[in-house]
Amino acid sequence: MTNENLDNQLDNSGEPTPEYFMETLPGQDRYVAPLDETPLQDVDSVDESAPAASMWADAWRTLRRNPLFIISGIVILFIIIVAIAPGLFTKQDPNSCDLANSLSPASNGHPFGYDMQGCDVYTRVVYGTRTSLSVGVLSTLLVVFVGTLIGAVAGFFGGWVDAVLSRITDIFFALPMLLGAIVVLQMFKTSKSIWKVVLVLALFGWVGVCRIARSAVLEAKNLEFNTASTALGSTPTRNLFRHILPNSLAPIIVIGTTSLASYIVAEATLSFLGVGLPTTTVSWGGDISSAQVNLQTDPLVLFYPSAALAITVLAFIMMGDAVKDALDPKSRTA
Amino acid sequence: MTDNSTIDSQAQMLAMQKAHGPLLEVKDLAVDFTTDTGKPVHAVRSSSFTVYPGQWVAIVGESGSGKSTSAMAVLGLLPGTGHVVGGSIKLDGQEIANAKQKEFDKLRGTKMGLVPQDPMSNLNPVWRIGSQVKEALKANNMDVNHEKRSALAKALAGEDAAVKLKGNDDETFLGSKELPALMDEAKKALTAAGVTGDAFDKAVARFESEWVPGSETRWRVADDLIKAGVKDDDAWYLAKKYVIGSSMDDRIAGLLSEAGLPDAATRARQFPHEFSGGMRQRALIAIGLACRPDLLIADEPTSALDVTVQKRILDHLHYLTDSLGTAVLFITHDLGLAAERAQHIVVMYKGQVVESGPSLEVLQHPQHPYTKRLVAAAPSLASQRIISAKERGEDADALLDHKIADENELEKSEHIITVEHLTKEFKLPRKKEMFKAVDDVSFSVKRGTTLAIVGESGSGKSTVANMVLHLLEPTSGKVFYEGRDTSTFKAKDLLGFRRHVQPVFQNPYGSLDPMYSIFRSIEEPLRIHKIGDQKWRTNRVKELLDMVEMPQSVMGRYPNELSGGQRQRIAIARAMALDPDVIVCDEAVSALDVLVQDQVLHLLNDLQAEKGLSYLFITHDLAVVRQIADEVVVMQHGKLVEHATTDEVFDHPKMQYTQDLLDAIPGGKLKLGLD
Repeated sequence: MTNENLDNQLDNSGEPTPEYFMETLPGQDRYVAPLDETPLQDVDSVDESAPAASMWADAWRTLRRNPLFIISGIVILFIIIVAIAPGLFTKQDPNSCDLANSLSPASNGHPFGYDMQGCDVYTRVVYGTRTSLSVGVLSTLLVVFVGTLIGAVAGFFGGWVDAVLSRITDIFFALPMLLGAIVVLQMFKTSKSIWKVVLVLALFGWVGVCRIARSAVLEAKNLEFNTASTALGSTPTRNLFRHILPNSLAPIIVIGTTSLASYIVAEATLSFLGVGLPTTTVSWGGDISSAQVNLQTDPLVLFYPSAALAITVLAFIMMGDAVKDALDPKSRTA
Repeated sequence: MTDNSTIDSQAQMLAMQKAHGPLLEVKDLAVDFTTDTGKPVHAVRSSSFTVYPGQWVAIVGESGSGKSTSAMAVLGLLPGTGHVVGGSIKLDGQEIANAKQKEFDKLRGTKMGLVPQDPMSNLNPVWRIGSQVKEALKANNMDVNHEKRSALAKALAGEDAAVKLKGNDDETFLGSKELPALMDEAKKALTAAGVTGDAFDKAVARFESEWVPGSETRWRVADDLIKAGVKDDDAWYLAKKYVIGSSMDDRIAGLLSEAGLPDAATRARQFPHEFSGGMRQRALIAIGLACRPDLLIADEPTSALDVTVQKRILDHLHYLTDSLGTAVLFITHDLGLAAERAQHIVVMYKGQVVESGPSLEVLQHPQHPYTKRLVAAAPSLASQRIISAKERGEDADALLDHKIADENELEKSEHIITVEHLTKEFKLPRKKEMFKAVDDVSFSVKRGTTLAIVGESGSGKSTVANMVLHLLEPTSGKVFYEGRDTSTFKAKDLLGFRRHVQPVFQNPYGSLDPMYSIFRSIEEPLRIHKIGDQKWRTNRVKELLDMVEMPQSVMGRYPNELSGGQRQRIAIARAMALDPDVIVCDEAVSALDVLVQDQVLHLLNDLQAEKGLSYLFITHDLAVVRQIADEVVVMQHGKLVEHATTDEVFDHPKMQYTQDLLDAIPGGKLKLGLD
């Protein structure tokens, strides 16, 4: 169409072009929107003003706006500081106890009072933080590492490898974690240590992560960018580490954060039952256990370590939820 | 059009439409969506359009233009936070813009029906097809008989409201029990009326094909009899005696067979997974029309289907709505399709109506710049291959030189990729025999040209592409690159081959790793092949971004921030990173909007002219082929059906299948005023 033609038509817009005159119904006349009301944009232009957003940057933005994350973040930060530097919060030694103070009430400098052994409850709660946190964090790291490795291998190679690994996973899945841990730790009753607790928790905990990792890898494996990458000359192993694993991380991180709290609880339970940490290690579980004999007369001795445990667990569960919302928006409840 | 009777019936129709007034009148409609941050997003602004009874009106626009949102506002089915903030929607004179869901419940089904876009997800997989049709009937009280329903409708509307009900004769269907008796009586009546011989056979044949239980109404039976020569009184007597209503199963089967499903009674007992995409869409059409709505909203009803299936389904829908007098609001992104099917076109852009009018007029004399752009880009309307930017700027002599230079190069070897007797078999689960996805396919790609493989889904065209790319091992047959058998390649040769033969895949959302920045994505092939240092690679990525006409600032961005077309351009940049000789485009533009598709096709074409690339172009869309290909291979059921130059295939197709494909190109037959 020549320009001249165009101009002609624009002049008599509104009136039907003669050679195509057809009767139109009311409301169906020829209509052309004024150009100034409907400005034409470039085809498929790039919005250069928007901030760059990788998946992680997006997740971070969502997290920052989530009050759940802010509250739990502050609490967890505080817990971490207490765990790293308990000396900042108390000048006393948690193991220097004086039986003369046995079950004394709170006094100046000893806000939570004393337990039966005459130990300062406040100091023991402060020092117990490190134990709980390290067991939780170490177990989670180990579980995530082992579970991801096995799950990724099963999902990536498939076939008989997957069949064998999945059956092994099923066997472990059938074993209740706490019961299994009690049975195994019973064998080491004379040589307790924090490492044994971590190893036993990981031994019974990796299956959950493994299953998630396997399905995430299976899903990521079939995405088109792997084919694209192969066609570029990439090898399957390179694909696994460069494309498939990074794309499977989100659900693994989510289950990691949410299960951290459960390992802290498990450690406390094991210590309470006397099969967990050695009695020389200050831990909330152990303190709760020794305080239960005086529950009726001195409930506060039991209350403080229990409250510390509850707050920590709650904070990590909240954090896990917030992370889940950010990394897995589909699971978000409206 | 020249036929006198059609002109007459058109005039009659027009008079009827004028007398009735608009069925749907949308004026200055505005729809907002509220985002997480509480900020409203204007999805639709001051949109107006009108639909008359029995008319097809098409809303055309690209994704995000607000075409579906407008339709959903009419149905009261706006998703999520969407709500009407202004304007009016009048259905048969009744204002429904801000109607409550309860009021919509009454309108949907009987007044308005919907044929949704995605046939795969819109049927409930755990219910039989028949039950889902039944649900539509029950929801609108169509399962009870006419008298009862009249009473119900009266009760609902209140005693004094004047309820307009469709005529009894229009709503009483033929039952399968009465059909044999009716047929006997009809034959007797014909004989009595003196119809014999040829005319008698014809009439009986007509009855047999037309009288589908559960679909044929009393009125139409009488009409058929009268047309065949039976006297009015006798015809009505027979119709009233034998057409006394159908059972629910008859009705369901009738509806399904109306929608074009053969053997409907059996089909009704099947589950959605036993249906193909086209059959599911037919079932959805049956559901949409189950309660005889006045207005059917078809939201891209066929965009997920193959073109030949699309044509069959739309042809049938057209016939069906014409015979039922249903108006259709047809939502599509395809201007050619819209112009072919609808009398009136509404073009939407960025939430606003930019142009509307009689479809041919809009198509032939587009006035808004956006419509002009659409018309210019519509592949189905284009009649020739895109000429590259380079060639456009050259005069004839230069072109000639270009050709000679090409010929010198040809000495190397004329065919860069040769495929010989390629066959691929897959093992189907739970079946013994192997499924031949590709069956003895041979062709070759000439250096510097484009060979397109065309076929419908399941034709094996993508399997061929994957075998050429060495991503899939052929069962038998060979692929040669530069005369070398690719199946003999060792790891090192293969790496070299990958450097020269690059893919661009269909799904622009899947082929880029979402965790990789654009820079890393384009850089990846350079890293894999260990080419250059960090600085050199950065420069190369910038160069490549310029090549695909993307700003360099996107380097730090991530795929999820880019549109489909932009991602596809990034994928092309990645494919170009290693300076390949051959690019295999597997449906590379199929997922894109028309304008963006046009842009990417031009880009591919320019790159070909500049770099002397050879393309193997896999597509289901013959219209695109004409724009980009020099040679065409048509595939059907894994076999090569036809192989010729593009012009030959379009002008003189040898095989019926190719002809069918050509006929199915929407709007392919429309003449444009452009030249």
